[in-house]
Amino acid sequence: MTQNTQKNRCFLELRNIHKRFGGVHALRGVDLSLEAGEVYHLLGENGCGKSTVIKIMAGAHPPSEGQIVLDGEVFNELTPIQSLDFGIETVYQDLSLIPNLSVMENVALGEQLVEGHGRLLRRIDRARMQQTATKALSQVGLDVTPELMSTIVSELPLATRQLVAIARAIACEARLVIMDEPTTSLTRREVENLIDVVSRLRSQNVAVLFVTHKLEECYRIGGHAIVFRDGQCVAQGPIESYSRADLAELMTGRQISEKRYREGSPSEDTLMSLSNFSMPGRFNDVGFDLRKGEVLGITGLSDSGRNELALAIAGIRPAASGTISINDKNIRIATASDSIDAGIAYVPEDRLSEGLFLSKSIYQNEVALILRKLAGFMGILDMKKGKEIAREISADMRLNTADIELPVSSLSGGNQQRVLIGRWLSINPEILVLHGPTVGVDVGSKDAIYQTIQKMAEDGLGLIIVSDDLPELLQNCDRILVMNAGEVVSDLNGASASEDDIYQAMLGSVQEGAA
Amino acid sequence: MSSAGTSNKPAPGHVSASGQLQQRRGLGDLIAKKPELVTLGLLIAICIAVAIANPAFLQPSTLIDIGRASVVTGLFALGVFVILAAGGIDVSFTAIAALTMYSITLLAINHAPNMPIYVVFLIAVAGGIALGVLNGFLVYTLRVPSLIVTIGTQYLFRGGLLAFVGTTWIMELPGQMGTFGRISLLEFETANGATVSLPVYFLILPAAAILTWWIMRRTLMGRAIFSLGGSPDVTARLGYNVKIVHLFVFGYAGALAGLAGIVHVTANRLANPFDLVGTEIAVIAAVVLGGARITGGTGSVIGTMLGVLLVVVVDNVLVMVGIPSTWQRVFVGAFILLAAAFFVTRQRKFKPAK
Repeated sequence: MTQNTQKNRCFLELRNIHKRFGGVHALRGVDLSLEAGEVYHLLGENGCGKSTVIKIMAGAHPPSEGQIVLDGEVFNELTPIQSLDFGIETVYQDLSLIPNLSVMENVALGEQLVEGHGRLLRRIDRARMQQTATKALSQVGLDVTPELMSTIVSELPLATRQLVAIARAIACEARLVIMDEPTTSLTRREVENLIDVVSRLRSQNVAVLFVTHKLEECYRIGGHAIVFRDGQCVAQGPIESYSRADLAELMTGRQISEKRYREGSPSEDTLMSLSNFSMPGRFNDVGFDLRKGEVLGITGLSDSGRNELALAIAGIRPAASGTISINDKNIRIATASDSIDAGIAYVPEDRLSEGLFLSKSIYQNEVALILRKLAGFMGILDMKKGKEIAREISADMRLNTADIELPVSSLSGGNQQRVLIGRWLSINPEILVLHGPTVGVDVGSKDAIYQTIQKMAEDGLGLIIVSDDLPELLQNCDRILVMNAGEVVSDLNGASASEDDIYQAMLGSVQEGAA
Repeated sequence: MSSAGTSNKPAPGHVSASGQLQQRRGLGDLIAKKPELVTLGLLIAICIAVAIANPAFLQPSTLIDIGRASVVTGLFALGVFVILAAGGIDVSFTAIAALTMYSITLLAINHAPNMPIYVVFLIAVAGGIALGVLNGFLVYTLRVPSLIVTIGTQYLFRGGLLAFVGTTWIMELPGQMGTFGRISLLEFETANGATVSLPVYFLILPAAAILTWWIMRRTLMGRAIFSLGGSPDVTARLGYNVKIVHLFVFGYAGALAGLAGIVHVTANRLANPFDLVGTEIAVIAAVVLGGARITGGTGSVIGTMLGVLLVVVVDNVLVMVGIPSTWQRVFVGAFILLAAAFFVTRQRKFKPAK
C-alpha cells in the first residue's frame, strides 16, 4: 500500500460524476483527484452538491454516471463496505451515530465489521473494541472513563456526540477522512484539538477532506480549496491563494464583500436593562443595557454561560436572581410566555429540533405564534388573514420562494432560519434574541440574514445576537459583550474591535484560572 | 421460597420506597436504563399478594406449572423481542407455528411414524426459518411496514393450513412425538398426593434464551439488529447489510415459532390446526411489559423473560386467589398501561435534566 501511494500519490479519483435525484441534477460532471497526506476543503453554498459528492465517495449513493477510481481500480459505484474497506471514513453532518448503542460500540464496532468484509455472524472481540475505542476517544480529546464508554449515544450532549463521530472516523486505519461540518457544535478549544488531530492524520499520510462554512478554520488548517457551485467544481487550488472575498464570490457566483453590515446607530433610549442577573454555577451578576435599535453581541466559550444567559432572558430556564426591566418597567420572567408577553422573542440555536415544524408548510410555521389572534368565532381560524400575514412575512424575510404552501423541509438552511425569525416578528416583539443565527447557513443566506438583522434594528428593535461566529458579531454589532466563566469580562466596540481582541477576552481568565 | 422468605420481602420494598425519596434521580436513572426492574417489581408484588391471599401458592408445583406454561409463550416472545429490537413487528409467528406443527404431524403419521424427535424438531425449525425468511424478504424488498406484511402472511399461512393441509384434530400422535412431552426432568409430590413433573421440553426455553442473549450481546449480528432498530438509514450507511439483518431476524423468529409449535403439540398430545393463532397480542404484550419499546432498538432477553413470566403468572395464579379467569385480561391490560405510562413519564422527566 505504501509502495503504491508513493508511486502514484493520487489514490482516489472521480471522473465525470453525475448524480440525478428524480428531476434534480445534483452533480453535473465532477472531476476530482485526492492525494495521500493532503488536506482539502470542500466549499460551496448549501445545495451545491457537496454532500452528494461525499456520499458517493462513501458508497451511500451510487453515481448516475461516471467512475470512481481507487488505487487505479475503476468502479461504477461503491458499496459502503467497499468504501470503508478501502479506508474512506466519513464524519457525516448528521453524525450518523447509532443512537441506542454505547459510545464504545459506535466508535469501534466498524473496525470488526470491515475486517469481516461485512459478515455479521461473527463474535465481537470486546477487548479489542475497548482498546480501539479508548485510543480513538482520547485522540479527539475526550476524557475516557468506563462511564463514557458505556453511555448510550442519545444521552450525550451534541458537542460530545460530534467528537464521538470524529473518533469513529479515526478509529480504523483510514486513508481518507471526510468531515462534513465537523466543528458546528464544538468550542474553540475542541476545534484546536481537532486541528491537532488533522495534522497528526496528515503526518500519517492520511488525506483529510473538510466540508465547512467556516472559512477562518480553513485558512488556519491550510491545504487545498475545492469550490463547488451548482453541482460543478468551479475552482481548485491552494487555499492561501484565495482571499475570503474570492472564495465567497466563487461559491455564490456574485460578489460579497466582508463589509460591515452595521451602518446605523442605536437611539439614546434604553429599551431593556438587566442587573445582577445570576444563576449559580452558570452565570453570575450579569448586567447590561440594551438600547432601542441597538445590535448587541454576546459571545464566549460554550461553557462561559452565554447559552444559559440567553435561555434565562427567554424565560426557558429562568435566572435565580436579578432584575430585568423593559422601558423602565420591572418585569418578572419565570416562564417562556412571560418573556413573550414582555415583548422578548427568542430564536433558538437548534432550529431543527427547537423551532420548526419541518413537514408543515411555510404558512403554518409562520403563523404558529399568532393562532390566538387569528381565531374567530368558535375558535375557527381566519385562514385568509393568516395567509396574508404569512405572505408579508415571507416578503419581509426575502424567502427565495413566494409559495407559502411549500413544506419548510424543502427550504435551504438559510431560508428555514428566516422562516423562524419571521415567525417571531409576527408578534411584534421589542427585543429579539438570536441564538447562533447563521449556524449551518451558507454565505448567500448569511448575507440575507444580516441584512434582515440590520433592517430590524433600523425599525427600532433591540437585538441580541448570541454567537461564536466572531466575524458575524464584528460585522453586525454595535457592542460585543464577552463572557468568561459566567461573567461579562469585556464590553467591546463592534466597529473597532478585532477578532483577536475578542479571542483574548474569551480565553483570558481561563488561562489565569489554570495557572 | 418458605414463609420466612415472604415475610422478608416487604422489607426491601420499603427500603427502596424511602430511597426513592432521597435519591429519586438515582433510582429513576436506573429504571430508565434497566426498565425490566419495573417488570420484576410488578412480578414480585403479584407473587407476594397472591401468597398472602392463598398460601397454597407457595409450593414447588406452582413453580412447575408456571415453568411449563411459559415455554411456548417464551419461545414466541424471544422471536418477537429480536424483531422489535430491529424496529419491526411480527404477528404471523403463531400462524407459522400452527402451519409447521400440523404439517409435520401429518407428515410423520403418513410417511415416517418412527421419525426420531430431534428430526421432528429439525424439520420444524427449517420450516419456521423458511416461512420467517419469506416475511423478512417481503418486508425488505417491498419496503412495506412489517406489521402489514405479517398480517398478510398470517392470513396466508393460516388460510393455507386450513384450506390445503387439514382441519381435523389429530389426537393420536405418532411415535416419539407422542411420548416426548411426557419425559420428565423433575418430579414432585404435591400436598394432596398427586405428582407434578417438570417436563424435559422445558429446557428448550432457557437454551433458546441463552442463545438469543448471546446473539444479541456478543455478535456483530446482535449489534446490527439493535442498530437497525435505532436508525435504519445510518445502519446501512455504516456498511451493515440491512437485507441480511432483515432475513435473519424474521428467520430467527420463524425458527423459534417452529420450535414452539412442536413443543405445543407434544405438551398437549394433540395437533389442533385452530390452536395458537390469536395469542400474538399476549406475546407482544409480554415483550413490551419486559421493557422493549414498540418503536425498536431497545429491550433485553431478561426483560422479555420477566414479561413472559408476568403474563403467565397472571394467567395461571389469579384463579388461585379466586379472581375469575375472565378478569385476567383486565389485569394484563392494566399492567401494560401502567408499565407504558411509567416508562414514558420516566423518559419525559429525564430529557430536560440532561
